[in-house]
Parts: sequence; structure tokens; C-alpha cells
Amino acid sequence: MAGTILEVKNLQKSYGDKKAVNGISFQVKKGETFGILGPNGAGKTTTLEMIETLRPIDGGSVVLDGVNVADEPQKIRYMIGVQTQSTAFMDKVKLTELLEQQAAAYGEKTDVKQLLADVNLTEKADSYVEDLSGGQKQRFSIAAALVHKPKVFFLDEPTTGLDPQARRRLWELVQQLQKRDVTVILTTHYMEEAEELCDRVAIMDEGKIVALDSPKNLIRQLLGRGFKKQRRVEQADLEDVFIDITGKKLGN
Amino acid sequence: MPKWLFTILVFAKISIRRYFRDKLAIFFTVLFPLIFLVVFGSFSKNNDVSFHIGLINQSHSQFAQKFVSDTKSNKMFKIDPQVSNLSEAKSKMSRGEIDATLVLPPGFGEIKDNSYPSGQAVIYYDENSIPAAQTLKSVLQGQFEAINTSLVKVQMPFNVVSKSTNTQGLSKLDYTVSGLIGFSIIGLGIFGPVNYFPLMKRQGVLRRLHITPLRVWQFFVSSVLSNAVIGLFSIGIMIAVASSPLFHFKIVGNYLELAVFIVFGILTIFGIGLAIGGWAKNENQAAPLANIVVFPMLFLSGTFFPRYAMPEWLQHVTTFLPLTPIIDGIRMIATEGKHLTDIGPQIGLTALWAIVIYAIAFRVFRWE
Repeated sequence: MAGTILEVKNLQKSYGDKKAVNGISFQVKKGETFGILGPNGAGKTTTLEMIETLRPIDGGSVVLDGVNVADEPQKIRYMIGVQTQSTAFMDKVKLTELLEQQAAAYGEKTDVKQLLADVNLTEKADSYVEDLSGGQKQRFSIAAALVHKPKVFFLDEPTTGLDPQARRRLWELVQQLQKRDVTVILTTHYMEEAEELCDRVAIMDEGKIVALDSPKNLIRQLLGRGFKKQRRVEQADLEDVFIDITGKKLGN
Repeated sequence: MPKWLFTILVFAKISIRRYFRDKLAIFFTVLFPLIFLVVFGSFSKNNDVSFHIGLINQSHSQFAQKFVSDTKSNKMFKIDPQVSNLSEAKSKMSRGEIDATLVLPPGFGEIKDNSYPSGQAVIYYDENSIPAAQTLKSVLQGQFEAINTSLVKVQMPFNVVSKSTNTQGLSKLDYTVSGLIGFSIIGLGIFGPVNYFPLMKRQGVLRRLHITPLRVWQFFVSSVLSNAVIGLFSIGIMIAVASSPLFHFKIVGNYLELAVFIVFGILTIFGIGLAIGGWAKNENQAAPLANIVVFPMLFLSGTFFPRYAMPEWLQHVTTFLPLTPIIDGIRMIATEGKHLTDIGPQIGLTALWAIVIYAIAFRVFRWE
């Protein structure tokens, strides 16, 4: 792969006495999909927010494509896209208008039709966000974050609360981004999501990175330590049954 | 078009469109002030009837009969039909039901030796209603004088004629309308953003914008712009209704100057909403603060009650509320026909407030 696009060095953030992020370092390569895993309160979201310029950096440095985040946040904002909460849109505004507005925030005009087609929402162009289903909202919030063709794309727990079909549809979207050589950084609670999408994952606990490698290597290392799963592994699980019976319909 | 301007215009355009889809917002900004206009407007229309009086006619002359019917048709007085003798009249006066009593004594208006009718009417009044009695006296004197000159042809060496210097004399409605425009500006400029800014924070709308390169000042300018357009729309409707035959409100000043000054007022007051809504983390923080700021202006700046009716010291204090120069300026342009160049003090005070308000708003604004 090409060079490094994101370099995080000894990043720190404290809230009072509590060290939410306690000196973490990692690098993300251009075009890679990088996952940050960990239990609630591990510091995943805080880490992302510091990289996204939303939170002041207490210590250490973040350099994104040669630009220091702390020094030039405005430059960074043009380079990154962030998928936000699906509720983060005004009511009574059409999808096309929301995209037009989002692009205008970057001082740009955008191809609204193409963006909606990319996330399979063409027929919803004149709807309001409040009339979309959960999965559709999630897809729309990705489209909104892509209006300015960012180099690095952030997703914070993108599939929490989605049904299995909607989740798989979202995975496909992320994989399309990978094909377009967009660097993707995501946090998740779901291990199968990390396994499916991520080239490498960092596992965080109590503000520190406790493991960092590709999912395959992490599993191999675990097995190498003599780990055996308690349960007999089936060739399919209940989710596969669910998907098989209800069909992997897109949309809705 | 420069990029920063493009950004502002797109944001303003979309929030204006959104407003016209929001029935609740239209109700509060257009219909609500209209309801007040109807209520306060009808109060000020009944201005003509000023005095309730008792009328006791003890004379049987033709002149007295005619005088009674003339007085009954005079809009200045409302005659209490139940008063037939003086003791009744006195008890009604002491209870404040009538302001004064006019008595035409026996023989009033009878033609005596000098071939024309004569007599002396008496006004009885209570200590509490001296001004009413004096007014009644001067009105009757005028009435009698007119009768006298028609009966006795004399050339008066001295007389006095009153001429109005201001053809657009201010009526109570003029104060009402300019006050209600002020009320509209407050509703739109403070209660609006105080509600929807915390909502946008809760929904994460502002957080999403915070991630983009959008600057706070661009966001402010686009909000002011959309607010100004919406404000002109709703105030325009109110002025149209007030000017209808229902109320006969008349704008004598220049419409463009009036619009410019109203936009200036909207800009200033909206800054207060921006400061409170932009500062507050949630609705619970915003609402009490907004009330503290709004209520003094609502009652003391001349929105519902004209300031000239206040005690002098209160007038001095309330001169410096942000809304006061705006309402005064609007009235001076709209009903007194003044120009922007004539209302320097009002513009200066409003500008001073605008600077203070926006300095605070920028400092306390937070995206989340």
C-alpha cells in the first residue's frame, strides 16, 4: 500500500483526573480500513473526536496527510468526512436540499443525484429525513458526509441499532468506499463487523491500545496461545438463518 | 460569487424554505401577532366615547329638547339613561359609574323679553372627576358659543382659531401597530432561536456543521438573513391587515426606509436569541434566561402599552432597553413620516446594542 495518511503519536485527553485517552500511538495507511474496538468508555469516541478537530488535544500529536490537526483544523475539515448521528438533520428539509446545504458548508456545489444513487436513495430525493427508515437514515448520513469527496472517512459505531439487512447494506457501502481508495476509520462493538471490513484493528481498553494488528493475525496469535472455543463451531449461525429466510433485500 | 457568500446564501435559502413548510412557526410569527392586533386594535377604536354622563332636563322648552337630542348624538358623551334626578346622579357619581351630570334647570331655553332663548346649564361633578367635568364644561361652552353666535350677530374683536400642524396626528392605533411590530420582532428573533438552537444541538445538527469548514460568522449571517426575510414577510402581513378598512392604519413614511429600519431591528433583536440559544446546552437553560430578557422589553418598551403613559422616571429607564429605540424608530418612520436621517438617536442606540449583543453572542456560542 501507499504511504501513511494518518499518524497519531502519544495522544492524550483527560477529563478531570480521568485519563480518557492515555498516550496512544498508531498509523493508518492510505486506502486502508482501520477499526478501533473496545468496550464502552474505552476512549474510542474521544480519540476520533480529537482527530476530527471537535475536541482540543491535551497532549501528543495527530498529523493527517501532512497537516497537523492542532495547528490547522480548518484545513483538516476539508479533508475529512464524518458520518454523524442519523438524527443530525433538520426536519422539513428535503434530502436534496440537505445535501445541497452540506456541500455549501464546504463552499461547493455537488452532484446530488449521484450521491443519492450511491446510497440507493434516488426515489427518496424529495422526502424528509424524518420519513426515512433507520437504515435509510444511516445511509443518508453517509451520503451527506461524502459531499466534498473526503480523503479520510470516519464512522462512529455505524451499525448500532440496525437490523441485519440494513447492517449488511451498510457494509457494502463501506466496501465501495474502499474500492474508491478512501481511507476509512471506524469504531464498532461488533466483532464480525470488524472482521468483515477492517484491514487492521486497534483494541482499546481504559484509554490505551492493548492490541493492534489485522483481524486474522490477532486470531492466529490467540490460537497460537492455545486458545480453544468452548462451544462447538457450527458452519452457520442464527444470523445466517435469518438472512436466508428474510432475504437480503436492499432498501426499505 | 465568492465561496463564503455562496455558503451563506444556500443556508439562508434552505432555512427560509423550511420556515414556509412549518405550520407551527407560521402560526406563531404571522397569526399570533395578528390576534393581538385585532384585540388591541379594537380597544383603540373605541377611543371616541370618553365620558359617561347623566343628563337631567327639568325644562320643557323646545330649545332644551333639541339640546338634549344634540348632546345624545355627540360621540364625546355616553348618556346614562337611568339617571332621572339629582340624588340618583350623585350616588352614581360617587360610585364612579358616571363622570359628571348635566342639569338643564326649569325655564332653560325659554324665550324671554329679548326674543331669543337663554338659560344656564349646570354641571355637577365628583371630586374624583375634576378633569372630566372641566372637559365637559369646555365642550359645552364651545357648543353654546356656536349657538350664541347664530342667535346674536356680533363681531368679536378677538378670536382664536386652532390649526393642526401635524396632519397625521398620532392615534392610539399608531402606537399599537408599531408596538406589535416590536412584539413580532421579539417573537421571531428571540423565542424562535431560543427554541430551535438547543433542539439542533440535541439532534446533533450543529455538531455535523461543526465538522465542516463552516464558520460561526457565516452561520450567524445566514441565520440573520433568513430571519430578516421571514420577519419582513410576517410584519408585511400585519401592516397589510392593519391598513385594511378594518383598522385604517396608514403608513405615511417611506416604505423602503421603514423596511431598512425594521431589518436593522430584526438583526439586533435576533442577536439576543442567537446569544441565548447559541450559549444554552439545552432547552432548560435557554427558556428561563430568555424570559428574564424578554419580559422587561415586552412590557416596558412600548409593545403593548405606550411608554408615554408611564411615570416619567420609568420612561427614562426604559429608553435604554434594546427594543425601545426600535419601536420608536418604526413609529416615527411609519406614522410620523420621518426619514432615517431624522432618527439618528434611535439608530445610534440600536447600533450600540447590536455591537454589544453580537460581541456576546460570538463569545458564548457553542456548537454542542
